[in-house]
Amino acid sequence: MKRLHKTLIALTAVGLLTTACSDPGGGSDDSGTKKTASAWPAETAKLDGVNLTIWAAQNSNAVAKQVAADFEQKTGAKIKIVTVPDPYEQSVQTKVASGDKPDLAFWQPTASQLTAINAKQNLQSLDGAPFIDKYKPALKDSTGILDKTRYAALVTVPAVEGVWYNKEVFAKYGITDTPKNFDEMVADAKTIKAKGGVPFYEMGGDKWATQWWVQVQLADAAKAGLWDKVNKNEEKFTDPTILDAIKRYKSLVDEGLFNKNYASATFVDQSKALLDGDAAMAIQVNTFFSQMQAQSDTAELNKKIGFFPISPKGNVGTVIPDQSNALVAFKTGDAKREAAARQFLSYWMGSAYPGFIKSLNTVSIQEGVDTPATVPEALSANADSIGNSVGSMQVLAVVNPDLYLNLANMLAGQASPSKVAETTQAQFAQLAQAIGTPGF
Amino acid sequence: MSANTWTPADTAGAPAFTGRASAPPPTPRTSRGNRRQKPGQPAAFLIPAIAVMVVFFFVPSVYNLVYAFTDWSSFKSQINFVGLRNFDNVLSNGVLLNDLKINVIYALLVAIFQNLFGLGLALLLEADTRINRFARTMVFIPVLMSALAVGYVFQALLKPEGSVNAALSFISGQDVTYGWLNDTHLTLLWLTIIHSWKWMGLAMLIYLAGLKTINSDVLEAARLDGAGRWQTFRLIKFPYLAPAVTFNVATALLGSMNSFDIVQATTGGGPGQTTEILNIFIYRTFGQGLFAQATTMSLVLVVVVALMAFPTIIMLRRRERVL
Repeated sequence: MKRLHKTLIALTAVGLLTTACSDPGGGSDDSGTKKTASAWPAETAKLDGVNLTIWAAQNSNAVAKQVAADFEQKTGAKIKIVTVPDPYEQSVQTKVASGDKPDLAFWQPTASQLTAINAKQNLQSLDGAPFIDKYKPALKDSTGILDKTRYAALVTVPAVEGVWYNKEVFAKYGITDTPKNFDEMVADAKTIKAKGGVPFYEMGGDKWATQWWVQVQLADAAKAGLWDKVNKNEEKFTDPTILDAIKRYKSLVDEGLFNKNYASATFVDQSKALLDGDAAMAIQVNTFFSQMQAQSDTAELNKKIGFFPISPKGNVGTVIPDQSNALVAFKTGDAKREAAARQFLSYWMGSAYPGFIKSLNTVSIQEGVDTPATVPEALSANADSIGNSVGSMQVLAVVNPDLYLNLANMLAGQASPSKVAETTQAQFAQLAQAIGTPGF
Repeated sequence: MSANTWTPADTAGAPAFTGRASAPPPTPRTSRGNRRQKPGQPAAFLIPAIAVMVVFFFVPSVYNLVYAFTDWSSFKSQINFVGLRNFDNVLSNGVLLNDLKINVIYALLVAIFQNLFGLGLALLLEADTRINRFARTMVFIPVLMSALAVGYVFQALLKPEGSVNAALSFISGQDVTYGWLNDTHLTLLWLTIIHSWKWMGLAMLIYLAGLKTINSDVLEAARLDGAGRWQTFRLIKFPYLAPAVTFNVATALLGSMNSFDIVQATTGGGPGQTTEILNIFIYRTFGQGLFAQATTMSLVLVVVVALMAFPTIIMLRRRERVL
C-alpha cells in the first residue's frame, strides 16, 4: 500500500513537471509582433528615472559610448553598456534562453542570427522607424529583416569579405594592378612566393576567419541562388560547389602560399603581419581593418593598405553584417523602457548620426550625411564594393553552422575537406530541423 | 585511559549524543508493534535539506531526462515531444563518440596522475614536521582556487612566448618556442597534468589520513623484521591505503569525466578539437540554441559515467576486503 502511494506521488510529480515544460525565454506572447506600428517618441523627450541596458561584445562595447553619454545628458535617462564575454552570440543566446534580456543589444542583423535569438518572440519590431528612409538605397532593405519584419537597426556600414593587401608588398614584387578574379589572385600569389615572399596570411589559431576563404569562392554561386538550394536541402555542403571551394582552400595551404604558422596564428598576428608587410594579402572583414587602425594612423594606412573584393569570376564582394554593425531592441515587458529604447535608436540614427560617424571615423550609411574626409581609402573602397556584392552564408542561409571551426580543424590537420563538408552539413541539417525548415 | 574519565557531562553541547547515552538499553525486539526506533530529531528538520535537494538536484535531473525527448531550442517557444529523434541525431553524428573517447582518455590520465602526485606527496610529507605542515598547506591551495582561474593562469604560462618557455630557454640555453597548448598530440596530456596539479592536494590529504590510520605497531613490527622502506610501502602501507585509493580513484576518474572549466579556459577544445571533451561540445551545442540536443548529450554523459562508476567502485571495494 505504502509503495503504491509513493509511486503515485512520483508519477504525479513527473506529470506536473512535464506539463510545466515551457521555454523560460519565451515569456511574452506573440500578439505584440502583429503589424501594430509602435510609437516613436521624439528624440530628446525627457526620460528621467529610466534605466536602459545595452549588451555589447568586447569589440563593440566602445561603439555606443559617446552616443549613450550624449543621450543621457539630453534626456536624463541612464544607459549601462554591459560587455558580454566572447563567444558573444553564444553567451547572449544562453542568457536570453534563461529569461535574461537587456533593453538593447548589438546583434548580427542577418536572418540566421535573428532566427537564432527567436526574434519574433523576443525582439521589438522596428517597422516605421523614422530613420529607415534615410538609409542609402543599397543598404535600406539589405539586412535586419526577418519574415518581412524589421528587427535590427544598422548603425555602421556592414562588413564585406574581401582581400586586404599591402600596397608596398605588391609594388615590391612588381604587381601593379589588383587581380580581376580569384585565379589571377592565385597567380599573383605564386609570383610573390617564387620571389621569396609570403602571399597570404591566415589566423587558424583564432579560427573564425577561416570561413571567409570558402565564402568568397562561393560568391558567384551565391548570386545564382546557391543558398536557396541549400536551404531547401536540394544542395549540400558535400556537393561539388561547396566541397570544391573547401578543397581549393586546402590545396592553396598545401602549396605553401600561406604563412608557416597558419594553424596557430591569431587575429592580432594577422593584422600586424599585413601592416608590417610580412605578408601580402589577407581575406578578412572590416573588424580586421579596425584592428589595423588601432595600431596605426590614417596616413600610414592610406600609404600601405588597400582593399579589393574577389570572387571566382570577378570582383564580387561578400557582405556579412556583423554584430558591431547593428542593434536590436528587446521586448522586456516594460512599455516605458521599450519606448525609451526605440527613442535611443531614433536619436542615434537621427540628430546624433553625423557626430557619431565623425567620432568613429567611419563610412556614412545615410543619404545626406557625408563620410568624413579622414576615413581611410581602404575602408571607403570596402564600402563602395557593397553596390556589387552578394550576401554571405550568414545572410542567405537559414542557419549558421560552425563552418569556421571545422575549417580550423582542417588547418590543424585533424580533418579532410570532405570531413569538413560532412560535419558542417550534419550540423546545418540539425539546426534547420530545429527551426522547422521544410525539407529537413 | 582518557576514554574512561570522559563523562556525558562533557557533551552538554551535543544533546543528540547525551540523549542516546542516557537512554535506557533497548528492549529486545518483539515480533510486531514497536518496530521503528524513535528518531532523535523531528522529521521536519529534514525539510530544508530535502527542499534544496529537490529544487537543485531532483527537479533538474528529471527535466534533463524529459527535455532529451523534446525539440526545445532557442528558435521557437513551443516545446514538443519528438521521441528518440535527438538520440538518433546525436549518436549518428561522429563528433559525440569522438569527444566521448577524448573524455575517457582524459579521465583515465587524470585518475593516474592525480593519484600518483597525491600519493607521492603524502609519503613525502607524512612526518608531522613544521616544514611538512607548511608544504601541505601550499599544496592544498590550488584545490581552493577557481578552476577557471587555474586554466587562465596556465594558458598565460604555456603560451609560446610565455614564462614556461622562457624558463626552459634560460635553462637549456636555446630558444624554446614550443606551443604547449597547440600540439595536436600532446596538449591533452598537458591538460590532464594541469587538472591533476589542481586536485593533487585533495588526493594527498586523503592519503595522509589513510597513512595516519595505520597502526604504528604494525610498522614497528615490520621494521624489527628488517623490512626496508620499499618493502614497508609495498606490503604494508599500500594495502592499508585501499579505502583511500578507492575514494581517490573513483572521485578523480568520475569527477574528471565531468570536467569543463580547465579545458575551456586553456584551449577551448583546440587545437583541431583534439582536446574537446564532451562538456565543451555540450556547451557549444547549447550555445547554438539546440537546447534539447545538448540535454540529450548530457544524458548520454550521465549514462556513460554511471556505466564507468559501478564496475570501478565494485572492483576497488573488492580490493578492500583483504583488510
